[in-house]
Amino acid sequence: MHNPLYKRLRNLPRDARDTLFLLVVIAWIIAPQTAHLPVWCSAMAAGVLVGRGWLAVQGHPLPRRRWLMALLLLATVGTYWSHKTMLGRDAGVTFAVVLLTLKTLEMRARRDAFVIFFLGFFTLLSNFFFSQSLPIAASMLIGLLGLLTALVNSHMPVGRPPLRQAAKTAGWMALLGAPIMAVLFMLFPRIAPLWGVPSDAMSGRSGLSASMKVGSIAELALDSSIAMRIRFEGTPPRQSALYFRGPVLSTFNGREWTPLRSAFPPRMQLPASVQVQGEPVRYQVTLEANNRPWLLVLDATPAKPDIVGYTASMTPELQWTVDRPMSDLVRYRAESYPTFTHGPARMVTGLQDYLDLPPGLNPRTLQLAMDMRRDPQWARADGAALVAAVMEQLRTGGYTYTLEPGVFGIHTADEFWFDRKQGFCEHIASSFVLLMRALDVPARVVTGYQGGEANPVDGFWTVRQSDAHAWAEVWIAGQGWVRVDPTSAVAPGRTGSFQRLAAPSNVFTQALGTVSPAFAVNLRAMWEAVNNRWNQWVLNYSQARQFELLRNLGFASPSWEDLTYVLIALVVGVSLLGAAWTLWERSRQDPWLRLLQLAARRLQAAGLVIPANTPPRQMATLLQNHAGTTEAHKQTIVGWLLRLEAWRYAPHNATPYARRTLATLQCEARQLPWPASKPSTPSTSP
Amino acid sequence: MAIRERLQKWFESRIAPRDCVTLTQRNVYILPTSAGWMMAFTLLVLLVASINYQLNLGYVLTFLLTGSAVIGMHVCHGTLRGLTMNLVAPDAHFAGASIPISVHLVSQRKSVRYGIGLALWGSDHWSWTDVPAQGHSTVQVACTPLPRGLHRVPTLTAETRFPLGTFRVWTVWRPAAQVLVYPAPEMHAPPLPAGEPRSGGATAVQRHTTGEFDGVRAYRRGDPLKLVVWKKVAKADELVSRDAQQVHRLELWLDLAHTGSTQSLEHRLSRLCAWVLMAQAQQLRYGLRLAAVEIAPDMGEAHKKACLQALALYAGS
Repeated sequence: MHNPLYKRLRNLPRDARDTLFLLVVIAWIIAPQTAHLPVWCSAMAAGVLVGRGWLAVQGHPLPRRRWLMALLLLATVGTYWSHKTMLGRDAGVTFAVVLLTLKTLEMRARRDAFVIFFLGFFTLLSNFFFSQSLPIAASMLIGLLGLLTALVNSHMPVGRPPLRQAAKTAGWMALLGAPIMAVLFMLFPRIAPLWGVPSDAMSGRSGLSASMKVGSIAELALDSSIAMRIRFEGTPPRQSALYFRGPVLSTFNGREWTPLRSAFPPRMQLPASVQVQGEPVRYQVTLEANNRPWLLVLDATPAKPDIVGYTASMTPELQWTVDRPMSDLVRYRAESYPTFTHGPARMVTGLQDYLDLPPGLNPRTLQLAMDMRRDPQWARADGAALVAAVMEQLRTGGYTYTLEPGVFGIHTADEFWFDRKQGFCEHIASSFVLLMRALDVPARVVTGYQGGEANPVDGFWTVRQSDAHAWAEVWIAGQGWVRVDPTSAVAPGRTGSFQRLAAPSNVFTQALGTVSPAFAVNLRAMWEAVNNRWNQWVLNYSQARQFELLRNLGFASPSWEDLTYVLIALVVGVSLLGAAWTLWERSRQDPWLRLLQLAARRLQAAGLVIPANTPPRQMATLLQNHAGTTEAHKQTIVGWLLRLEAWRYAPHNATPYARRTLATLQCEARQLPWPASKPSTPSTSP
Repeated sequence: MAIRERLQKWFESRIAPRDCVTLTQRNVYILPTSAGWMMAFTLLVLLVASINYQLNLGYVLTFLLTGSAVIGMHVCHGTLRGLTMNLVAPDAHFAGASIPISVHLVSQRKSVRYGIGLALWGSDHWSWTDVPAQGHSTVQVACTPLPRGLHRVPTLTAETRFPLGTFRVWTVWRPAAQVLVYPAPEMHAPPLPAGEPRSGGATAVQRHTTGEFDGVRAYRRGDPLKLVVWKKVAKADELVSRDAQQVHRLELWLDLAHTGSTQSLEHRLSRLCAWVLMAQAQQLRYGLRLAAVEIAPDMGEAHKKACLQALALYAGS
């Protein structure tokens, strides 16, 4: 407590102290998203904040405007260079952080400070683009309180009030504002996005989309938000067998995989043919709103999933689609057969679609395929043998799995097979399928989710966006379509019984694990359950939930208009209450004046003439001169009147019991020997 | 502009002048500031971002901020509501000097009222203060120099933006007290005029020949140095000579008629004011004659005040 640094911080001038506090709050807000910002942006933010803090502590002047303009220009160019655009979410977040930190170098007028606060609120929100987990929420609550504290502090112009005071005010405001927040949160209509969400909302994040661009994503952020939750009826299959089928992508233009655009008329295309065997797996899926028109089911699901409100249909490639995008949480039941055969047994014309290669691309991959075909070892090999050979190459050829493969050129498969030898599942699946097609084996890319984890507390399986996966299907004569997951050859941990997205283990959890493994497990399960609650109550609070609430309130068929009506009714009700309270407060009188008036009334009743606004001492004098009360009673009343006067006018510190005595005075007033009231108007007596 | 001024006049005339006001719902006004509109815009941006990216936590943040702002609005209004303002009657001042107006702020509330500013209505020079819980504080507002005469204390305004700066809560207060403004004393006034013979009874005056000095007068050119009262010089910073005989025969009259008729009235009053101060500093007996008004020769602080007041209120012949 007595080290020099602490002392120095304590004795900083107010300006410097306020600036330092604001800088710390800004750093706190930016810190969680540094992983998602370009490196230069994080470095610049840190540099500017530290530099600004140093200027504040040393009391040096702020840099000139032209330096700021130069920095801003540099940062704008950097933003454009990093994101290739200035629009959209990621560029917007980067730019907001840049503006926020640079603005700290230009805090001159009150308006500048406000710009900082409001950019700060926006940066606070941008954290939620990347994660809405409980820790981030708690951390951002602290950030919000910090910003509010700084804002309150900047409106205390006198002296050097302790920050604690501003923090208290901010905390109270947030606490009292919480009910308003709860009502708005529950009742504000959850409407669909006002305009198309900018395309980068999904790119660069794990998750599914209708197409798959290869090589254009430099960095994949694992998005740990939940894609769906599953409850199995009976024993769940092995985790490594949990392949949830999403869009099947069969047409490649060199950069992007899209659903099949067949070169053949419909009658020649492959029909949906699937034969199942054995016992089905039955399960219930709670699918998060994803704005996509498809369901996710385990392979293979021949029967229509049981879903309300949507019309589901199956494509020839076994994908289940619905008639419109699901903008809301949906729940459906499905039956899937892990053992199945799919597709024609013999080579048919329709399979030619799955041998198409983009012309002129990936020459080295084509050459590799040709070389293999010439090799006598493979000359007569069937599809299964070729698959095994390529998988062996993936396993032993020094290929690695990475989330940061960088941007690929136009020969994506060439770069993967020969140059970089690293990528994430999309690169691996795409390159694998291209090589198989070059080897004359029909192949396609399947996207979906793989794996998930069971929560021991409630038994639900959670599949996250980070479980999104791409794998391959190859057609083998006699077997039909067979699933091949080339990623498992590169990174066995990626698919299989490994923990996919291990909870970040820190020193604390490690220590806990070594001391008491059972306790650590319990703690984790508890944490998961809390998280689940959080997900269910806050993150998954959707229009369906709102309507459920309205139904409980007695609305037969709630619509979002009803939500608005309830909201308006609440606002009107609260306003009326406020108005009533104001009226009540206006009519309320100062308790001291009330006592004085009581005394005046009592004395007037006894025949004294008490002018309006007579102070207590004068009343006492009037009473002294009044005949008709015993001396002892007079003294009691006079004593009381003088105490009444002292309560109001004595110096504040002279009457430490001042607060208490008003109640005492009221008590005494009731017991005082007030002079008996005179019979009214003596003139009427005969 | 004229309409605005007239509106302001009209608004001002509606307020009853009082030296003590307790602020209530009726006389406290509230409007959002430009920062408040900026806050509203920020909230809108946050809401749109939450809707477009379907962020439930974004909704939580937006609505928590909204709730805090709504509470902030009430806190802001509560900072002024219930406050009692007392005007401390201002002293008289000379024209040309700025007049400090002291206001006593009394709060009955159990919590501190932060960031209350007072200023003249229409000016932008705020004096800020905090009013402690169930306590009081005093603020001084500098009033711009006023011309000579008796003036009503200018209309004051109290304002607060605490806690978030998104709302401006203010009140307009018209004090009833008046402030007297003396003429500004002339900077380099000529010396005091010569005394006049005592009216009615010059013959009755005894000639003192004892050589004792009975009074002092302002130094005149030609006075021998031994007549200068050095002690007084040190105090009054002005040369003062002993006056042996004339004091009993002559009276010092500061007369508007002696100030030179070529000057403007204000200038002449300024000179008289300077003379009054000079005479007071030299502890002379002096009288004041302003056309119809006449104040008999006397000495002392009360006499000076009476003279200055007469100068302040003199309306011309």
